[in-house]
Amino acid sequence: MEEVVNVRQLSKSYGTKIAVNNLNLTVKKGMVLGLLGANGAGKSTSIECILGTKKANSGKVSILGMNAITQRKQLFQKVSVQFQESNYQREIKVNELCEETASLYKESMDWHKLLKEFHILDKEKSLVKDLSGGERQRLFIVLALIGNPQIVFLDELTTGLDVKARREVWLTLENLKKNGLTIVLTSHFMDEVEALCDVICILNKGNTVFYGTVEEAIKASPYDKFEDAYLWYADEEGK
Amino acid sequence: MNTFRKMLKIEGKLSIRDMNMVIFAIIMPVVVLIILGVIYGNKPAFNGAQYTFLEQSFGAVSTIAICAGGLMGLPIMISEYRERKILKRFQVTPISPGILLFVHLVIYILYSLVSVVILWIVAKLAWKVQIRGSLFTFLVGWSLVLLSMFSIGMLVGGVAKNSKSASIIASLLYFPMLVFSGATLPYEVMPVPMQKVVDFMPLTQGIKVLKAATLGIEVESTFIPVIVMVIIATVCIACSIQYFRWE
Repeated sequence: MEEVVNVRQLSKSYGTKIAVNNLNLTVKKGMVLGLLGANGAGKSTSIECILGTKKANSGKVSILGMNAITQRKQLFQKVSVQFQESNYQREIKVNELCEETASLYKESMDWHKLLKEFHILDKEKSLVKDLSGGERQRLFIVLALIGNPQIVFLDELTTGLDVKARREVWLTLENLKKNGLTIVLTSHFMDEVEALCDVICILNKGNTVFYGTVEEAIKASPYDKFEDAYLWYADEEGK
Repeated sequence: MNTFRKMLKIEGKLSIRDMNMVIFAIIMPVVVLIILGVIYGNKPAFNGAQYTFLEQSFGAVSTIAICAGGLMGLPIMISEYRERKILKRFQVTPISPGILLFVHLVIYILYSLVSVVILWIVAKLAWKVQIRGSLFTFLVGWSLVLLSMFSIGMLVGGVAKNSKSASIIASLLYFPMLVFSGATLPYEVMPVPMQKVVDFMPLTQGIKVLKAATLGIEVESTFIPVIVMVIIATVCIACSIQYFRWE
């Protein structure tokens, strides 16, 4: 399989505080990679360094063979990103946000169709802020897909959702995966990770404490449930 | 180009939906003009003056929209878009977040243009105000006021810590300049010591150029104001390029 994301020896520190230490990742086409860790473990910083919105102190990153800083414009035609937290204009409506997003790409998908597929077409004229949590996250997935990307980065897409809404989001992601989309996500929910991720990378204070499949993670730990295994990796007192 | 047009349309709609600029840049200047018109009518600016009081104030009133956009709208918009991570979202698209700022600059310029056109129509129809000097000088002066006010706003928006501090700084710049530079309270009715103080405001200088153009006063007196505005614009643009924070 073709490698689409390659991260080698990536390190980033803020002053004396090390945020990411020697991160190595490989994501192959059609794979779902989960980046896990407690709050402040370095997940978001890692994603931002990979995407070039933060400058790494050292290391090499290539996405689809391109450099995120020097070939930004070409790269983001093919890679889309949903950062954690809301980042839309206060009074914007669903259709306006979709139209504006579509206008950024050379080849954009029919967003009406996407809204329909994600069951929010009836909310087209609503203000984004008036959507329910689940509707809003589905809208963010629509936005991530509008540019017809080859890879999507999703940062804590399901945080703040109730169980039902979370399920809906995963089902969608599973479908996208079936269609061959490569996904890099961060999450706090281990059921979700188990269901979706082919490979996981667990971070603890910026260090990679585990890199491999979910089964391997369980096997290498003293537990037989993934959540317990994860806590064992992510929790420093556990070691 | 297509991207720019679509973004202009959508961001423009958002700005109108927000109403702040409609009130402060379009409605308020007309209200100020009407109040001055009702009070002073076609009275000459002073005994024996060749021009009316309203003509003397027209240049000043035409800068209210520029101040609303440049000193209030722009810095608050930039800091809010940064705080809501909208600028950051654009960093991970094929379009530079700079385009988004440019779209908003164009929107504020459009508000200012619409305002000056409406004011001109109202002033001409209701009180027969006319430009006695050079229309060209007026346009150059107006553009310089726009450039200097917008560059100040860009700098404030670019460096302010958050939208709260941006709006405090914006208010500190906007209200004193609006009230004391002659845009609402006519410069001529101020006591001389006060005029000396408000002369330090760049907007006061800009309004002098506009006044000279409307009234047909010697262009010589516009030299210093032009220099002041150009220096301010240059310094603010240079600083905002240097220190602009995208997130």
